[in-house]
Amino acid sequence: MSDAVAIVGAGAVSAYGVGWRGLGKSLVKLAVAPSVELAASHPGVLCSSVSEVPSRLDAGDARARKLMSRAARLGAIAMREALVDAGFHDRREEIGAWMGVGASGVAMQDVPCILAESVREGALSLEKLGERGIAACNPLFTFQTLNNFSLCHGAILEGLGGPNGAFFSRGAGTVTALAEAVHSLLEGDCDRAVAGGADTALHPITWAELVRDGFANRGLMPGEGAAVLALCRRSERPLALLRSVAAVPEGGDIASLTLPSHADLVVLAPWGAPARALLSDLAASRCSACRTIDVSLTLGDSLAAAPPLAWVAALDLLKSGETALVLSAGVDGCIGSVVLRQGGP
Amino acid sequence: MRRPVFVNGVGAFTALGATWPQTCAALADGASAVQPVRVFDATGFPSSHAAAIDRVPPGAPDRRLSFALPAAREAWDAAGLKSTPAERIGVFVGAETGRPDFETLVALARASARDQGLDESRLIKALQARASALAPGEVSPAAVAFRLAAEFGTRGPCATVSLACASGAAAIIEAARSLRAGECDVALCGGVGADVDPLLLAAFGLLGALSASGVSRPFDHRRDGFVLGEGAAMAVLSCRPAAVELEGVGRTLDAHHITAPAPDGGGAIRAMRLALADAGRHSVEVVQAHGTSTPLNDAVEARALQAVFGERLGTVRVSSVKGALGHTIAAAGALGFLAGAEAVARGTVLPTAGLEQPDPDCSLSHVMGRAVTMRVDAALVNAFAFGGANCSLVLARAA
Repeated sequence: MSDAVAIVGAGAVSAYGVGWRGLGKSLVKLAVAPSVELAASHPGVLCSSVSEVPSRLDAGDARARKLMSRAARLGAIAMREALVDAGFHDRREEIGAWMGVGASGVAMQDVPCILAESVREGALSLEKLGERGIAACNPLFTFQTLNNFSLCHGAILEGLGGPNGAFFSRGAGTVTALAEAVHSLLEGDCDRAVAGGADTALHPITWAELVRDGFANRGLMPGEGAAVLALCRRSERPLALLRSVAAVPEGGDIASLTLPSHADLVVLAPWGAPARALLSDLAASRCSACRTIDVSLTLGDSLAAAPPLAWVAALDLLKSGETALVLSAGVDGCIGSVVLRQGGP
Repeated sequence: MRRPVFVNGVGAFTALGATWPQTCAALADGASAVQPVRVFDATGFPSSHAAAIDRVPPGAPDRRLSFALPAAREAWDAAGLKSTPAERIGVFVGAETGRPDFETLVALARASARDQGLDESRLIKALQARASALAPGEVSPAAVAFRLAAEFGTRGPCATVSLACASGAAAIIEAARSLRAGECDVALCGGVGADVDPLLLAAFGLLGALSASGVSRPFDHRRDGFVLGEGAAMAVLSCRPAAVELEGVGRTLDAHHITAPAPDGGGAIRAMRLALADAGRHSVEVVQAHGTSTPLNDAVEARALQAVFGERLGTVRVSSVKGALGHTIAAAGALGFLAGAEAVARGTVLPTAGLEQPDPDCSLSHVMGRAVTMRVDAALVNAFAFGGANCSLVLARAA
């Protein structure tokens, strides 16, 4: 990256609640997030879940929330918080928006409602499904199905109309979303942008995928949340500058990642133990560091939201003149790196 | 100075043909793939017609791959860029979440039901018991891009864009951005949709977006909704000069409504103007419209075109391949891209199938019946999405 983009605000929602200030410091203290055992749906599984959001901080109104998947709802909260934090109050139709998004995760309760009306003589009848099963479904069901709605609900609520993109992410897609935002700012496609991710690994189908693919047995703790950075090309008083953003797909050339020779802070967001070891080795081999934290120990892996939660944790911990390296490794095998510097280039 | 982006090869797998030339020839003749759904019993559904690809059975492991792989192979072979190092080749695919076959979904839901509701712990167990029936490729949007990267041995950027109906166009824009920025030298890009199944036919039916008459006729005054389609369209882009250049791109959000476009077409207007400005042009000869055949969308797009081109609009020929191929969702923008490239490369402007009685509110210079042949220096391609995302691209005859 030949030029730097300024981070001028951030928003987050995680197991620690709504907000990013203090999040990193809590993680440094190894304060235990309010993880709960998912006794009802996921027996014996510990997770890092977002507890009930106060209504004054929630996304939209009750009607709007009925249209949202959980990830879309969390994403809309983080997007609003970032915009407010940055003071992006005017000309919002010009603001760009890029998000890493997971599979939306529809409300599964609708499925048996459909089926109850679709069975004839003990077997599913597509004819009956068409005639009665569809009518038994919550008509809002469809609105929760499309992945890009994790971007679009927030954009609609906040009036964002600039260049945009929704990248499917199990980690790396969110880094790509940030890279795209940076590129658009540097190219002049927009002067201001938000970039981040929102997701939940607690949806029954997502969790089943993670179990099936062996991640649960290798230390993945499911998490959920959202985090968004507010960016602009120039700022008199940025929270930090983005010095480098890169993602390498599985099997790609890790050496191509631009890492600083020294970082005051290294923040890791691995999906689990093997990825933790990989990221630790990568950081140690390419970069001397004063201190290192691992956000997954308390926040778990929130998939598309994991990298941006690590970014805002780093933002919270950076001191004047310091550099932070944030490394993420998602279940898609991709590695993302982001370098932040506080206090100017 | 930014790097130019050229279209070196294209490929398609659609309900009208297993290659782009086959598809294009059928489109040029005015053929339509829309017909009653035969791959499952759609009796009683809000719409029972679609442009389905019958030659790939619904039970195939991942129908998206069955469509995307041959389309990508065709584009790749046509491009002839095999000497590029693997690290310099990117893959950018527009795709949404895949689905297991409907019988598997039904079995899962029945195993998970309790007291007229859903027991999530039972669902988890049922999902795990049917792990083999829920292969990763069937549910992850990223599976298509990863599989294409493996198939062609690429090791450069690999991204999956999930932007609903604009996914394919947005993936091409992302590929162009990556090429311009020098992140890769060759990009395999496009979109794939495999949505003619009971779940999506029901879901879009619930929205009231599907045609009850079962006819896709964009811009016709009798239009009553879109018809689902499926297929894949892929392109290979690079900086190596070719007949067609991707000159300009534009992306905006409506910030209006989760399914309906802004009535004034503001987001679409801005996307088109951005793409034209990026290309350094004021006008084009051809527009490959989003043209879904829904009453509101087509009228808004027509108004937006009027706002963008003004008095010049009378000389701009407009068509939409959705009349023949239905709405292929994540593939739609990429199919439009191929139609736009065809117009520029060969002067073949494809018609809007199903359009016979143009809506006075969509007063455009339509291409009806059969393709017309004319010199085309530049074409604009539109793709607009549920959620309010708008993508526009300008293709031009290379200097």
